[in-house]
Amino acid sequence: MGERIRASFLGVGFVGIMSTLYLGLMWAPSVAIDAFESPAAQRIFYWHVPSAWAAFIAFAVLFVGSALWFFKRSPTGWRLHVAGAEAGLATGLMTVWSGTIWGSAEWGTPWDWSDVRLNTFGLLTLIALFLVLGRRSQPDGIETRDTFSAFGLFGFVLVPFTYIATRFWVIRHPGPVVATGNDGSLQSDMALVLFIGAISFTIFIIGHILTSMHITKLEQRVEMLQSEIDKGG
Amino acid sequence: MEGMSYLTVGYLGMILGIAIWTWTVFARSKHLEARISAIETSMGKEYIESDSIALQSTINEEN
Repeated sequence: MGERIRASFLGVGFVGIMSTLYLGLMWAPSVAIDAFESPAAQRIFYWHVPSAWAAFIAFAVLFVGSALWFFKRSPTGWRLHVAGAEAGLATGLMTVWSGTIWGSAEWGTPWDWSDVRLNTFGLLTLIALFLVLGRRSQPDGIETRDTFSAFGLFGFVLVPFTYIATRFWVIRHPGPVVATGNDGSLQSDMALVLFIGAISFTIFIIGHILTSMHITKLEQRVEMLQSEIDKGG
Repeated sequence: MEGMSYLTVGYLGMILGIAIWTWTVFARSKHLEARISAIETSMGKEYIESDSIALQSTINEEN
């Protein structure tokens, strides 16, 4: 896919994310002052939730890519695996970062080890970190790809586990506010900003995944050229 | 810290994260394109099939 298309996705996504920042800060209504310990910090929710959404998209891409490599030996599958792991790490860290900042303001502690959702999401981000660092430290080969793809496949089990954790084990992390079947859970202006954020992060993550796939293709081309030189050809 | 201070730290961290991530990806892409162009010019080659590992895997399975 052309450079212009990749740059367009990234540019539109970035503008949307910045708009979400502005709207979340200046336009979205404040929460009830007695509902939260720190009503101002609650506005980080407009970035935290969309970045978590983008992380789930990235982990889904990682799963599909891992399966395509593992079962079909698809070169595109391997590129999807690499792109999904990198995007999953970046968006996972953004989610954890914004969550710990909010936790510090609201709970007085950045992390609660007794909360299932925090731990499963943290583990998911650590798997992405392992895949990114592991791929960069190991020589590329069939066995290496098989090992990392297996981790990508099994790691995805944590995605539905994380999703249902807030529904069944609500400890400290707030429960879901969308797709709950309860129309009154989120005020309409808040829902609009959240929706713009989710769309923007989705466009942005697609741009990053396409760019990352392009980079993996370039890296493979460099390796191929290098082996040609080594053979003397 | 006040709530707004936490929010500021959170927002700045996210903006910085997005900026560094995007910059790194673009820089890597440009660096690799320049490197490939230089190697291909010196070798007098136009294009080489890229994923040698996938090709090797397919050959192994066929044998």
